[in-house]
Amino acid sequence: MNVELIWTLITAAALFGVGIYGALSQTNLVMIMMGIELILAGALLNLVGFWRYLHPDVAAGQMFVLIVMTVMALEMAVGFGIAIARFRNKGSVEMEEAAELKE
Amino acid sequence: MITGQAIFIGFFGLATVWFGIVVFRTFSMVRSAIALLFSQTALGAMFLTMQAEFLGVLQIMMMATEMSVMAIFMVMFMMDPGGMGEMDMSHQKRLSLIAGFVSFVGAVAVAVFIDWGPVTITVVDTAKQTEALGLELLGRSMLIFETAGITILTAMIAATAVAIKPVPLTVNNSTTGDLPVGDFPVDSLPTNSLPAQKEDKAK
Amino acid sequence: MTTLLMILVLAIGVYLLAVLEHWISNGRFQFSAPAYSAIALLGRESVVPRKPDLLFFEVGPVLLLITALLAAAVIPLSPDLIITDLATGALFLNAALAYILVALIMAGWGPNGAYAMIGGWRFLGQLVAYAMLVVMPITAVAMRAESLMTTDIVISQAGLWNIFYQPLGFILFFIAAMGLAFLPPFDLPTAEGEIAGGVEAEYSGVRLAIFRLGRLVLIITLAGATVTFYLGGWNGPWLPPWMWSAIKILGVAAVMLLIGRYVPRIREAHLLAWCWKAGIPLALLNIFIVGVLLVEYP
Repeated sequence: MNVELIWTLITAAALFGVGIYGALSQTNLVMIMMGIELILAGALLNLVGFWRYLHPDVAAGQMFVLIVMTVMALEMAVGFGIAIARFRNKGSVEMEEAAELKE
Repeated sequence: MITGQAIFIGFFGLATVWFGIVVFRTFSMVRSAIALLFSQTALGAMFLTMQAEFLGVLQIMMMATEMSVMAIFMVMFMMDPGGMGEMDMSHQKRLSLIAGFVSFVGAVAVAVFIDWGPVTITVVDTAKQTEALGLELLGRSMLIFETAGITILTAMIAATAVAIKPVPLTVNNSTTGDLPVGDFPVDSLPTNSLPAQKEDKAK
Repeated sequence: MTTLLMILVLAIGVYLLAVLEHWISNGRFQFSAPAYSAIALLGRESVVPRKPDLLFFEVGPVLLLITALLAAAVIPLSPDLIITDLATGALFLNAALAYILVALIMAGWGPNGAYAMIGGWRFLGQLVAYAMLVVMPITAVAMRAESLMTTDIVISQAGLWNIFYQPLGFILFFIAAMGLAFLPPFDLPTAEGEIAGGVEAEYSGVRLAIFRLGRLVLIITLAGATVTFYLGGWNGPWLPPWMWSAIKILGVAAVMLLIGRYVPRIREAHLLAWCWKAGIPLALLNIFIVGVLLVEYP
């Protein structure tokens, strides 16, 4: 229970909160994805904090972080593919207009 | 007990959260993307301060490229990427503020009120860490690694397939060559080898 | 102390590279040419375009210089002449060089000009092309050295230089390094005849001087990286180690600058097609070959 671990967890909680605010309040798909990036960044920071201060000799902690980073990159790639397809069909990526899938 | 590491973690933590807030406060889209980039860089710097050197360097490297790609997608898709019109493109602001605040308070409560157990201060040397990570990756977690590899390949193929511009079928049901025509005396036309470039008019 | 010495050596190297560039492009070997052009640049008027994005406009060139200096921090000139010997040195080099893209995007978007913006986004496309060709040869080099520290990588080449052990990787890394430094024939962001100077176009005076200085430091850093990874670093028969490093780095930088005068600029679409369809399979083949060689001849 030292200062560094607590501060790391609080920072990750703040990132998580800002990410949720962004993901819920933005109308554009790209901005929503930015919010999701912040949420995942908070989770990553928590993972690294727990690895460093509680179990620094277990390499599986870093392995977990690698997998989460990989998943972040992948969901961005697929998300942008979907954004391109949507933009080609409708001309915008505003999520408010996407409430119903038919025009 | 405030050590040097605590000061750096505090500084970079504040930088991360501040840049994260700037992402949603600014009107300019490109500034938003670059602010997210520097937020992730500060996060990578926090990893480096916590002596997870490989992870920190990896985070810094990956996020620079990813956020720049995000920046160009902003410019492609948004109607005001420079933010000069100062439009407010958000909805359900109160709900999202409440949700964000509640999640922040909840996470902080969990962090502060749980006893995490004994804290280990010393870490192994970073070169040995990298070696241990490599051995773990190709030893015990080999299955996870291979699954991740297959997932990456699938995602790449899926993203490319979704994003490819469809070429309409033309006269002889071929996607290359020949002009896209209806009932037209095709035999009198000279054949050319240009692919049909008329998808926009078909919309 | 070592840091200051390395920065001094880097400054001398950058000056010599500027002299080399002047010789290659003008045909005259004039030792004071960079000093004259620096004084001229600093003395000129600093024109700020109308309604720029001031934050990006100012930060772009400075970030380019800082990134190139950070990347030069892990290049060893001799066994004890290195600014910081990180345990993940080779990967840190790649990470720092990723911010060249951020600097060029800022320099492209900041001045609120069409040509500059196009230059900036072109560099993003170029990065998509060369990024894998930088990382995969480094992977093969680190496989041989069994470590990511740059000093270990140089020590592992004491017997046989990597350019003979992994020639395919050397070719790919050399091409990718030229793409990273946006040297001709990969100078799409600052294409002179095509987009009126591109990213450099809207800068003048002090900011242009910083931009050019950052570009020169970047070229020296990439030449240093090529020498460290493939040409044996400081290994050599009679001269002291740092002199070998200096000669090799300047030689590689001169070759990088010379090639641009004889090869036409490569179009973005062709660059992407060649790098992804030919370059990445070759890089993977290089890793495979190096793996087999390492198992057979330890």
